[in-house]
Amino acid sequence: MKTNLYKCLLILSIVGLSSTAKAQCDSIASLCSKHIIAKFISDGQSYRSLLLNSEENAEFHTTFFGETTYRLAACSGKTDGNLIFNIYDQDRHLLFTNKNYANAPYWDFKVKSTLECTIEAQLDPNKNAGSGCAVILIGFKQK
Amino acid sequence: MTMNTKNFKLNTKVIALGLASLLIYSCGDPKPADGQSTDDLPDTDTVKAVALNVGGELFSIPSPIQTALLIQKSGVAYDKAILNAGSKNSQYISDFSKSLNLGIYGADLGYVSMYNQTQDALGYLGAVKQLADKLGVSAAFDQNTMKRINDNISNKDSMLVLVGIAYRASDAYLKTNKRPEISSLILTGGWIESMHFSISAYKAKPTDEVKYRIAEQKQALGSLIKLISSHNLADAAGLVKDLEDLAKVYEGITTKYNFVEPTTDEAKKTTYINSTTEITINPEQIEQISSKILAIRDKIINVKS
Repeated sequence: MKTNLYKCLLILSIVGLSSTAKAQCDSIASLCSKHIIAKFISDGQSYRSLLLNSEENAEFHTTFFGETTYRLAACSGKTDGNLIFNIYDQDRHLLFTNKNYANAPYWDFKVKSTLECTIEAQLDPNKNAGSGCAVILIGFKQK
Repeated sequence: MTMNTKNFKLNTKVIALGLASLLIYSCGDPKPADGQSTDDLPDTDTVKAVALNVGGELFSIPSPIQTALLIQKSGVAYDKAILNAGSKNSQYISDFSKSLNLGIYGADLGYVSMYNQTQDALGYLGAVKQLADKLGVSAAFDQNTMKRINDNISNKDSMLVLVGIAYRASDAYLKTNKRPEISSLILTGGWIESMHFSISAYKAKPTDEVKYRIAEQKQALGSLIKLISSHNLADAAGLVKDLEDLAKVYEGITTKYNFVEPTTDEAKKTTYINSTTEITINPEQIEQISSKILAIRDKIINVKS
């Protein structure tokens, strides 16, 4: 009987914590959206992933179209600068890392010609002791 | 065996009590809503992954608004006839059909906004609202943003920004509330409609810009196929097969990528991506893509159940 009670409590707790983690992701996304200022149009997606430690990567492949300026915003936690993001081209050349710019929470990219690239994000091990919700947002404008 | 069971019972008690304590503690925090203060957030989450996507691959699909921008810039005239009539929204019965057409109407709303067609924009805004209501996801379209769209319906620049925000908010809401398959289908509908815009524009006025935009969708299409397949939806089997057939045409399109070192202006927080890509697509491939997109779109917008 007692065991069942503890099991129920465990299940309820997991459900509750799941909601809490999601609410935190929502809050981080809300904070991050302030970096996509009005001159940029959102691509309509909210890229988010819970990273369990600083060794985990969230990644996605995207196409940057030519003659377009993109803004990427990358956030984790309530302050800026907790998330490292790297952009690679299709041949794994590193095109940009915000690590070289104090983990800047946003950066603009003027794209000359269309290219396929991979965006990777990870928690900065110097600023994150544990897990964290990683959020990336993309906005664009014509050149 | 006995010892393991005992340990399990002890562990269950400890974990349950620990998690319950954390939950009770966290219940004291107000849940921040979009745009509200985030002062109460912890610096980093120590809450372990429970039901969220953990690490791994995410998927990115180009915005239909971006395609509409290109088309308008290329000098193609507004053509209402290419859009899916907003009045058809009552024909969409299944969640699968409603979700895809919600994506199509969102793209159409972006298109009419681009051309400053206020009256048509009101019609598509209504179609989006109705379909979202019927799908039971009206909360995904934040009321405040929808009101701002309504208030700015004649302001093209504001409209485009707000439509982008509305769809991003709905994407986030659907992912958070365990309806990611709806989000994926909305993205799919939007992508199909943006391809339809490009193909219609190319037929009306063949320009290299639009031709290359049609050709540059290989990665987006691959992402869409993975994204829809990841949900194992029975209704989506035919759609996935159609998209896979389309992907075979894209396999024949050749690209030559030339890496050039990027340059960065730190003061402007801007990096210039200088690499170039040469793409080769022939008229037959354009025609094949065109007919396949037309057929897929037709199945989506003219569905009877």
